[in-house]
Amino acid sequence: MSLGRRQTLALLGSSFVVRPAFAADRTIVDSAKRSVTLPDKISKVFVAGPPASVLAYVLARDAMVGWVREPSAAEKEFLAPPARDLPETGRLTGRGDTVSLERLVATKPDLVLDFGSTTRTFVSLADRVQSQTGIPYVLIDGKFDATVPSLKLAADILGRPQRGAELAAYADKTFAAVDGVLAKAPMDKRPKVYLARGPEGLETGARGSINTEIIERVGAVNVAEGLGGHGNIANASLEQIVAWNPDVIVTLDRRFFQNVKNKPGWEQVRAVAGNKVYLAPSLPWGWIDAPPSLNRLIGLRWLLATLYPDEAKTDMRAETRSFYDLFYGVSVTDAQIDRLLGGKTG
Amino acid sequence: MLQARRLSIGYGARKVAVDIDLAVERGEVLCLLGPNGAGKTTLFKTMLGLVPALGGEVLLQDRPLAVLTRAEIARAIAYVPQAQVMEFAYTVLDLVLMGRTAHLGPFAAPGRIDHERAEAALSDLGILDLAHADANRTSGGQRQLCLVARALAQDAPLLVMDEPTASLDLGNRLLVLERVRALREKGYGIVFSTHDPDQARELATRVAVIAHGRLAAYGGPDETLTAETLSDVYGVPVRLERTESGRRVVVSARTNDNAGSD
Amino acid sequence: MAKQAETHRRSAVVLTVLTIVLLAAVLLATVLGPYPASVGEVMGAIVRRLSGTTAAMPLDTILFEIRLPRVLAALLVGAALATAGASYQTLFRNPLVSPDILGVSAGAGFGAVLGILLGLPVLAIQALGFAGGLATVLVVYALARALRSQNEVLVLVLAGIVVGALAGAGISLVKVLADPFNQLPAITFWLLGSLAGIKAGDVRVVLPLVIAGLVPLALLRWRIGVLSLGDDEAKALGVNVRLVRGVVIAAATLITATAVSVSGVIGWIGLVVPHMARLLVGSRYDRVLPASALMGGAFLVLIDTIARTAARIEIPLGLLTAILGAPVFVWLLARGRRLWS
Repeated sequence: MSLGRRQTLALLGSSFVVRPAFAADRTIVDSAKRSVTLPDKISKVFVAGPPASVLAYVLARDAMVGWVREPSAAEKEFLAPPARDLPETGRLTGRGDTVSLERLVATKPDLVLDFGSTTRTFVSLADRVQSQTGIPYVLIDGKFDATVPSLKLAADILGRPQRGAELAAYADKTFAAVDGVLAKAPMDKRPKVYLARGPEGLETGARGSINTEIIERVGAVNVAEGLGGHGNIANASLEQIVAWNPDVIVTLDRRFFQNVKNKPGWEQVRAVAGNKVYLAPSLPWGWIDAPPSLNRLIGLRWLLATLYPDEAKTDMRAETRSFYDLFYGVSVTDAQIDRLLGGKTG
Repeated sequence: MLQARRLSIGYGARKVAVDIDLAVERGEVLCLLGPNGAGKTTLFKTMLGLVPALGGEVLLQDRPLAVLTRAEIARAIAYVPQAQVMEFAYTVLDLVLMGRTAHLGPFAAPGRIDHERAEAALSDLGILDLAHADANRTSGGQRQLCLVARALAQDAPLLVMDEPTASLDLGNRLLVLERVRALREKGYGIVFSTHDPDQARELATRVAVIAHGRLAAYGGPDETLTAETLSDVYGVPVRLERTESGRRVVVSARTNDNAGSD
Repeated sequence: MAKQAETHRRSAVVLTVLTIVLLAAVLLATVLGPYPASVGEVMGAIVRRLSGTTAAMPLDTILFEIRLPRVLAALLVGAALATAGASYQTLFRNPLVSPDILGVSAGAGFGAVLGILLGLPVLAIQALGFAGGLATVLVVYALARALRSQNEVLVLVLAGIVVGALAGAGISLVKVLADPFNQLPAITFWLLGSLAGIKAGDVRVVLPLVIAGLVPLALLRWRIGVLSLGDDEAKALGVNVRLVRGVVIAAATLITATAVSVSGVIGWIGLVVPHMARLLVGSRYDRVLPASALMGGAFLVLIDTIARTAARIEIPLGLLTAILGAPVFVWLLARGRRLWS
């Protein structure tokens, strides 16, 4: 198929970033209701922050330009080449910029993808970067409840509709499974969960915070009440935790997990006494959090299996294998699954 | 020219001295005497308008100080404070130039005329060669002279000097006193405070003695600087003696060196 | 007489040299950057812009939307902070004073991080920062006047410490309440100071505000210098101390709040640059003012160039000025008062 004159000009024009003279542009509306004009074909995606890097990786890893932070060796084990070897390009969210705008322009991406908050701050930041650099900036809603529509919207924008449909179907099934189990589980069997962060386990995410929405989604009760419903990372004292008396403790910190039985005072907590402290897997990304992105879908299944073992009847090994294959493009060995799922006391 | 009328001085609720009446004209020297803490510096500051009067008023050329602007006052009265070390390193000339401020427009910096006046003032006092020295590195006496030069550059007919010879060695003290006399001859009005009654007797046209919260004496040096007044004011018995040249000096009345040791 | 003219000429020469240094710094900053550009290409782009032909070249975008606004902002912010520092050092008769002495940076910081916490658009964040800085100094000044002390300067400093500490506590509170994933990094980076997000519109606002603050300081340059002798002497020399002091505080606060609202908190410039200026032109404020402005501008332009080219990621400006400024400051202290008095 030979290129007509118009297409040749379009191709030539496509090497410019400012006011691209594409013959075929399209306009989409992102999660923040912004109309953004994009090139038809997206072949270079610049990720603005860690949640966006997960989103870009699962949908269109061949189009990624770089990572916000270079993955560690342990993380790379669970990521597929060539994406896993991409360089670090920095963080472009808020005035926590570590990206030089010049470098952004020099990279000549087709768009900047941001996944997470859609408040006015980030809307205005998106507009600023877009108008300064001429690069389209797309904001996708990162709330856990919006996973399915966000996946579909992002897939559409990135030009991978089938992939998006595939992943969205998995997400739908996951949520359906959760709802199904919850329907069967009586209200009094809803466990009270405490999310322990940090080596002392005294940092937690309060109810409503983005770091713990997954707990609420799985029907459990987050014992840490936030300030006026506005969830956040908060510090708790051991006395407070004993007063809350959670049935289950989920932790992200390996040291805490290993030492909790020896920590004085913690044996008062029902979860510790009942051997119900669980370490959330974290490679390549945390299953509960860090970052709060699509990596939480497998975490949802895991929490379901952990909190409602009788009702859920999940084969976590099979689930892990299929999730990592579908989303991350890696085949995990039995040994690797052992390492991932090894976080149960007793 | 500068007059205090039933003046009460002090800070806030604390009255330091009350009911002071005094005046100084051009060509006159008014000397302020008094024990430590009597209020000499307070009186100066009140007469310069730096501290508000607690009662009575200060008149400058028959106009109350309160209605005058700082620039107007500065063009009439120049203040020579006790020399202190400054936070910044200014040259002597820069320091003296600051005396020209009252004659500058609000947005102006010193020009040629101001430099000429400043240099003339320095030359008058014999310290023109110090012009580009760091003012903080000069000796105490030289620094005091710089401040006098600044007051001269201010072109004000009245000079108020706060203990101008304090902490000066003999040579510098005599130098400053000689300059004060010369200024008096030239027609300046001068108010200065001192601890030394002999200085006052030498230079003053009039003497004001501040003690015990009021004006203890006010008049010519001979009528005010009597042995009784001085003994009462300073709380130490003194008497007057005449020197060979005919000058009267103050000596302590307690011990008589000529009396022998029995 | 000849020596006086010589001193004048020397100051003029120094100021001319400083101006040239500043222009050279700006030129250097314009050609340096992660996106490579030679002097010829830069000149070509400028010619294109001036002749009205806006080509769709990436260099044009980078130059006029990203790099030039940033360089100009660095110039203005550096000049503003250095001038404010010089002014406050003269006003408070203390060469160890920084523009933050009355709390303007803490107040601006509090306003801006509050804006980030509330999820406001960037313009509102900047405006809140600006307003916070102004409001803090207003409160300090009103407090000092209300206390009606004999020693106004001391009371101002103490009030500044107190109100500044309150604003600092406010900042800490906001950091605790902020979303650790989205907002906290933004807040932290803002507090470290950066010109990474500057756009042309920012410069259009900052320029007139900084000029509006510099003009009164320049007009009153002689009387401000006289203020450094102390309230009593300055009054006796004919200066309306309260008025001049008020103007200095207002102008210095205006330019500092403006600078901080677009660049975050950048320390050390206001403290160290006036000292360097005094080394070159002596202590007279009417000479230190222009020298500080020129040196502060050049200094920050160069530092910002390092911040955006030295590594793959942006280095916060506050970090660089601290790394460079703190040792210089220690050296100044070690050399002792000899240097400035």
